[in-house]
Amino acid sequence: MKTNRSDTVSLSTLLSQVLRFINRFKIITAFLVVAVFISISTPFFLSWNNILNIFRQTSIVGIMAIGSTFVIIGGGFDISVGSLLALTAAMAVGLQSYMAWPFAIIVVIAVGAGFGLINGLLSSKIRIPAIIATLGTMTIIRGVVYMYTGGYPLYVDSPGFAFIGSGRIGSIPFPIILLLIMVAFWQFILVKTRLGRYTCAIGGNKEASRLSGIKVDFYMTMTFVIGGSMAAVSGIVYAARLLSVTPLAGQGYELDAIASAVIGGTSVAGGEGSVFRTLIGALLLTMITNAFNLLGIHLYIQYVFKGLVILAAVGFDSYSKAKA
Amino acid sequence: MISLNEVAEQESLKPILKLDKLSKAFPGVQALDEVSIEIAEGEIHALLGENGSGKSTLTKCVVGAYKKDSGSVFFDGREVDFSSPAESYQNGLSVIYQERSLIPKFTVLQNVFLGNESTSRVGVLNERKCKERFSSLSKEYGFDIPPREKINRLGVAEQKTVEIMKALNKKSRLIIMDEPTASLSESEVEHFFEVVRRLKQKGISIIYITHILDEVFALSDRITILRDGKKVDTVRTDSVNKGTVIKMMIGKSLKEHFDTSQRSTDKNSIIMSAKNIVNKPRVKGVSFDLRKGEILGITGLTGAGKTELARSLFGVDRINSGEIWMNASKIRIKSPVDAIKHGIALIPEDRKEDGLILLFELYKNITLAHLRGFSNRLGILSRRNEMHSVKEYKKKLDIRFSSANQITRNLSGGNQQKIVIAKWLETKPSVLIMDEATQGIDVNAKEEIYAIVRELSEEGFSVIFISSEVPETRNIADRILVLREGKLAAEFDRSAPQDDVMNAVLGGTAENENKQE
Repeated sequence: MKTNRSDTVSLSTLLSQVLRFINRFKIITAFLVVAVFISISTPFFLSWNNILNIFRQTSIVGIMAIGSTFVIIGGGFDISVGSLLALTAAMAVGLQSYMAWPFAIIVVIAVGAGFGLINGLLSSKIRIPAIIATLGTMTIIRGVVYMYTGGYPLYVDSPGFAFIGSGRIGSIPFPIILLLIMVAFWQFILVKTRLGRYTCAIGGNKEASRLSGIKVDFYMTMTFVIGGSMAAVSGIVYAARLLSVTPLAGQGYELDAIASAVIGGTSVAGGEGSVFRTLIGALLLTMITNAFNLLGIHLYIQYVFKGLVILAAVGFDSYSKAKA
Repeated sequence: MISLNEVAEQESLKPILKLDKLSKAFPGVQALDEVSIEIAEGEIHALLGENGSGKSTLTKCVVGAYKKDSGSVFFDGREVDFSSPAESYQNGLSVIYQERSLIPKFTVLQNVFLGNESTSRVGVLNERKCKERFSSLSKEYGFDIPPREKINRLGVAEQKTVEIMKALNKKSRLIIMDEPTASLSESEVEHFFEVVRRLKQKGISIIYITHILDEVFALSDRITILRDGKKVDTVRTDSVNKGTVIKMMIGKSLKEHFDTSQRSTDKNSIIMSAKNIVNKPRVKGVSFDLRKGEILGITGLTGAGKTELARSLFGVDRINSGEIWMNASKIRIKSPVDAIKHGIALIPEDRKEDGLILLFELYKNITLAHLRGFSNRLGILSRRNEMHSVKEYKKKLDIRFSSANQITRNLSGGNQQKIVIAKWLETKPSVLIMDEATQGIDVNAKEEIYAIVRELSEEGFSVIFISSEVPETRNIADRILVLREGKLAAEFDRSAPQDDVMNAVLGGTAENENKQE
């Protein structure tokens, strides 16, 4: 009897230790588990080309998700970034009729930041709940995309511009390099600068932040500006990869971006998160899609599964927090 | 017949709640260590202990907010293991938390019956039935709260009563009260005591958690003292005195420390002047001067406008009219940012909601208000400088933690308050406003806070020390202002007799303050 009991006790402590590890490094754990599982079922998965492929496919949503991470940590939400990708991609293509592509890029990033500014002001100054404010701008921007494109796809032919989407440095595609640079840069901003610290503080406790002399409205707006700018960068990569943009571009991307952030452990309540883990979250999402394609699983099922992954990630986090 | 009083004192009688070797550990701390307590029927049982002694953890384990590690809980003779406070409430064991847990925009009636609304079979609310039950409760216990009033229009004391009614509605046999008087003024406290005594007469048991020894001796039948998660002892209240209880709480005896020496700051220059500050609706024209190195006490009842005055000076609320002068020049304060720029700091009343980012590592809270000082022109932070400052304040304020990366939420109230103080000292303020700085922290930590305030004033900081506790204010302040109904009612120096100050606070007669319509 007695030994039996101590056995179960040690088993349960072991179990709780394992759980604690999973909880602490849950995103990495999930990533590894899925990777191992998939590579067993389809050997092609681990090939160098496929790995590069996964990273390249992640780059557009991944860059967008960096912005979403900042917005969510600051206590906001931005669902307009999918439409913004379409607008910025269309403009990156269209503007090249009037100017050289490097100038087009600069204008486009300014447009992205500008819409981010509008989102930020609507939510911080006018105090419209962020998800509703960006629902409004999402619809407006999509309308602007149709107006800008006249409803038809736009095309461009410019080798320099195309390099952003499909060029390589060594054997590594340029979008991957851009993604990794962005992740490193914004992770640094988040952890090592005032801007990052204030973003976490405001998401963690807005009133206490205000009473600590932080310009809460300004910094909240800044998170949306970052979100808009990153959406513009992802729009540029999108346009440069396809060299054509339809008015329907980027639909649903905002959901993938938000999903990447929350799967990566960004607290939906605000205050906590990491750009690096968002990257892992984004990779995880792409990896699942990639594996399903390799395994020949129907697209419809992929949607269902993706939704379940999001619920599982956020659910695990919320539930374990409520229990702690 | 034996009165219920005597019943409570006969410890052999059937207990309503029995805890047997209750234990709970958190990473790094044994918060509860085999604690066994019995609560008799109709007893007021005080639970005493410093912050971090395990009082809150004990409550949470009993009602199921935390899962206990080991031990058992017997309620009303049966072993129970509640999975949530809601379940324990439905079973007749309620908690009244320090923080209010009512819904502000709902009416009294809606709050009392929340989760237990009388409904018809198809789920339509039966308000008539609720009202009948409400008035019978009111009659039975002698409450007088208008059922249709919204909660946010009631005073704090009345809100406490509503919470009690909510508990009674579910026929609670035991009510745990966690520092119920923390935000009550002194006259409200007396009224609240009457309510508690009435509950006792009706045979309801009460676990009364508090830091205030006077309350323990005024109310309780027995006292259980916790220290470092262990039970020190359970004693009958009439068999001990304050000294012995304090000794048991802190494990050493505390010397009487009433420093009555007169300090002179009169010669010092005036650093801040408030001229006819109006912050509607609570502050109705307050003027005062603050000298360099002075500790200016501001006291008064809850609702007298103390907190609102502090918020006006710090730019949290915009003032309707009036002037603030610093160093003989008029300044405009439109936000906390402006106030900080002019060397004003506010330690807010609600430490957890307004003072700290609880999910932050503690060092981030210490440097938050002066992050500019820890970053270069590009805004890049220097961790080394941050750690340096943390170390400095750890030593200066004797903040107790093992690592600067500890999450602020997990620290005791006293240590949290010291972190707020450190945060503001980092901004190098010339005026430090402290609003109820010792609220909800234990005796020892209070003493430490007083010592810190005195030391700061020696160093030349000017402190506005706001407190609703008159003895505390007299103890610490060089000069005392009494606010009553938004206006300055009186001014005293530190040698003024307590009764005079008290009289000014209450406005002559205590009865006047008990607004009864």
